[in-house]
Amino acid sequence: MVDPGALPPRRSRTPASARVTAPAPTPMSTPVPAQAPAPAAPAPAPVPGPASAPAPVTVRDLHARGELAREYPAVRGALARAGGRELDFAGRVLAQLDPGAVLAAHPGTPRVRIAVTGRATVGEVVPPLTAQAARHGLLVLPYVGGGGGYVGELGNPASALYAHEPEVTLCVLDPLTVWHAVEEPWQPLDVTVAAERQRKLLGELAAAHAAYAPRGATLVLNTVPLLRRFTHQLTGLAQRAELGGLWREFNADLLYMSDPGAGLAVLDLEPLIASGVRADDPRLGAYADAHCTTALLTAYASEAAHLVRALRGAAKKCLVLDLDGTLWDGVLAEEGPEGLSASGTLRGAAFGAFQRTVKQLASQGVLLAVCSKNDPEPVARALAEHPEFPLGADDFLTVVADWGSKAQGVRTIAARLGIAPESVVFADDTPFERETVHAGVPGAAVVPLDAEPALHIEHLLADGWFDTPTLTDEDRMRPSRYTQREERARFQAGATDHQAFLHSLDLRAEIAPARDHEAARLAQLSLRTNRFNLTGTRLTPARVRALAEGTDSLALTVRTADRFGDDGVIGAVFARIDAQGLHLENLVLSCRVLGRGIEEATLSGLLYAAQAAGLPAVHGTWRRTRANAALAALYPDHGFRPTPGPPGAGAGPPASAGPPGATSGPPGAEEAHFRHDLERIPPVPAHVRLRLRLTEAEVETCTPSRT
Amino acid sequence: MHTVEDLIALANQHLGTALAPHDAGAELTELEDWDSVHLLRLVALLESELGRPVPVAEVLQARSLRDIWAVAVAT
Repeated sequence: MVDPGALPPRRSRTPASARVTAPAPTPMSTPVPAQAPAPAAPAPAPVPGPASAPAPVTVRDLHARGELAREYPAVRGALARAGGRELDFAGRVLAQLDPGAVLAAHPGTPRVRIAVTGRATVGEVVPPLTAQAARHGLLVLPYVGGGGGYVGELGNPASALYAHEPEVTLCVLDPLTVWHAVEEPWQPLDVTVAAERQRKLLGELAAAHAAYAPRGATLVLNTVPLLRRFTHQLTGLAQRAELGGLWREFNADLLYMSDPGAGLAVLDLEPLIASGVRADDPRLGAYADAHCTTALLTAYASEAAHLVRALRGAAKKCLVLDLDGTLWDGVLAEEGPEGLSASGTLRGAAFGAFQRTVKQLASQGVLLAVCSKNDPEPVARALAEHPEFPLGADDFLTVVADWGSKAQGVRTIAARLGIAPESVVFADDTPFERETVHAGVPGAAVVPLDAEPALHIEHLLADGWFDTPTLTDEDRMRPSRYTQREERARFQAGATDHQAFLHSLDLRAEIAPARDHEAARLAQLSLRTNRFNLTGTRLTPARVRALAEGTDSLALTVRTADRFGDDGVIGAVFARIDAQGLHLENLVLSCRVLGRGIEEATLSGLLYAAQAAGLPAVHGTWRRTRANAALAALYPDHGFRPTPGPPGAGAGPPASAGPPGATSGPPGAEEAHFRHDLERIPPVPAHVRLRLRLTEAEVETCTPSRT
Repeated sequence: MHTVEDLIALANQHLGTALAPHDAGAELTELEDWDSVHLLRLVALLESELGRPVPVAEVLQARSLRDIWAVAVAT
């Protein structure tokens, strides 16, 4: 065996300039600019189709011209269209790129600090990870360890790994994990003992990571593939089966440890291997201590990048589907509704299976819409007249059926739903239409379907666009909430007097301390809400729980309901209380409820509650993010006056620190501080019935509405 | 693949390196554009290109691109 140290050394794990010049972690902001206008907004401006767009640049072009750092913002779009070989190449050259040079040219580039470690050589994961992250608009600031040192790196608070301050730590468990501690002769019982020791060690290392990594960081482990060259060393078939069983128990125990919201995620490699990815190369294992194949590490990196995106709350919200060749077999305009099939024939059944998968996604909160080049009436008939199709008209929140550009269609759908066009996933079997959306809706994901419907499901699920750390009840209810929103919008359109409309809504709001089961939802709101997010501070569920349980901190849920239905938890208030008063650390409201007076009611209610509690003042901070500029006037509009800095500035933490443990804004981010002396409190809008409790212990206070 | 220049072209094409024919005899550790991770990837690239296995231990111990070509291609 060759000593891995004898291999030519990897010159620089993290370019020195990156270590020096890379600023502290950025806010976990999704790379999404301002949200789309509300449904009442005028139609969006026309967008160019592919015919008018220049030929897409490739990473190969940029590398050849030496312009990767200078043109880094173009990399994401270039990789959106890249296949396996181009992605592989992109990973090689992007991993060699100095992140410091990219940040010097583009200081606002979203970035993620990732540490990679493992039981064996793991550096080969960095190129595909870098490419995959770049596909999702993230620049990786890497630290690469491993090579046998993972126990020391994870267990020692003074290690170089923790000095890197990773947001995400990948601890790659290769197929020789456990086996390195099994000596011949062995039987299944010996493997059980070694596996249990390994699991306990990983549990201890996870606890160490939770203690030593920055708060909110996530450790990523994985299940360990079982190799035939081990199972078949047992000649007894009964013993071989026993080994298979105990190995699955070991992997199952690892998976049960997974709790991404609490800082530990476990990637299941079995589905990757079942899809045909070879796990190990015995030669590279023997000679280079590299026990995972490049193919496995590439697939792993793809899953890890999806995980990072999910942890950042960047999950897509809406799936926009084409019809002919996507949802059903046949061409509506030529064959009529009766000529379509999504069951009954061989190809039809494949479309039916795809429709059932789409329905499964919708059951978990993915909003469905149709964008089809057809006349609207036949589309409505086709969706209504095929009860045997798994998806019907009621499953789609909105339908765009016309002969215009599909980029325009996607923007129209986003505007109707009140979501950002970038939060859309568009699936179509026609390359021209996909290119139109690529070019016309930057940031939207485009799923390349083709002429083989049996593969539609794999194409749709390949990039985990809708993955979220933990599915909440709110996610499951989301489609019905949007249906209510549509009904409300139609009702509003029919009302001539806006005030009369608001009064007719019978709007109720309740603000109360968060219960334990609501922590995941509040964390999700802090992650996914961009437009009404006063500071952009992102919180993990564990951090929300800590705030809710703290003696001087508050995490409050905001719930609303009206005559059209219950909106559920649509907002969050994070605050703390001290002798100087109530400090509003952040306010977050879903854009679903904006424009109904909830924001005014929330602020007024908090002022009344602070007054009732005998506090001297309420303090608030606004910090600029990509999407919240409109909120700069929120506090002044509610009677707050500007102050030069936060209360106690100079003695306390720096102004931009945010709540301890949260991912806060970059140093120097524009921010403003305000104070309300509770003398003249603006009234709660008369059309809102508000109930607000600051603490569980407090007797319920009913704040009267005033006009 | 007939010459060490073909090997260099293969690396440049897939690994994004900017190696020149005169780099063929240089120590890998001295090459500005080389990284040990490249070597593992090059094994797979070579096998895909040649359509047959290469002697991995010898490739990993090679000190120059010419050495790699000699053990992987010329044998």
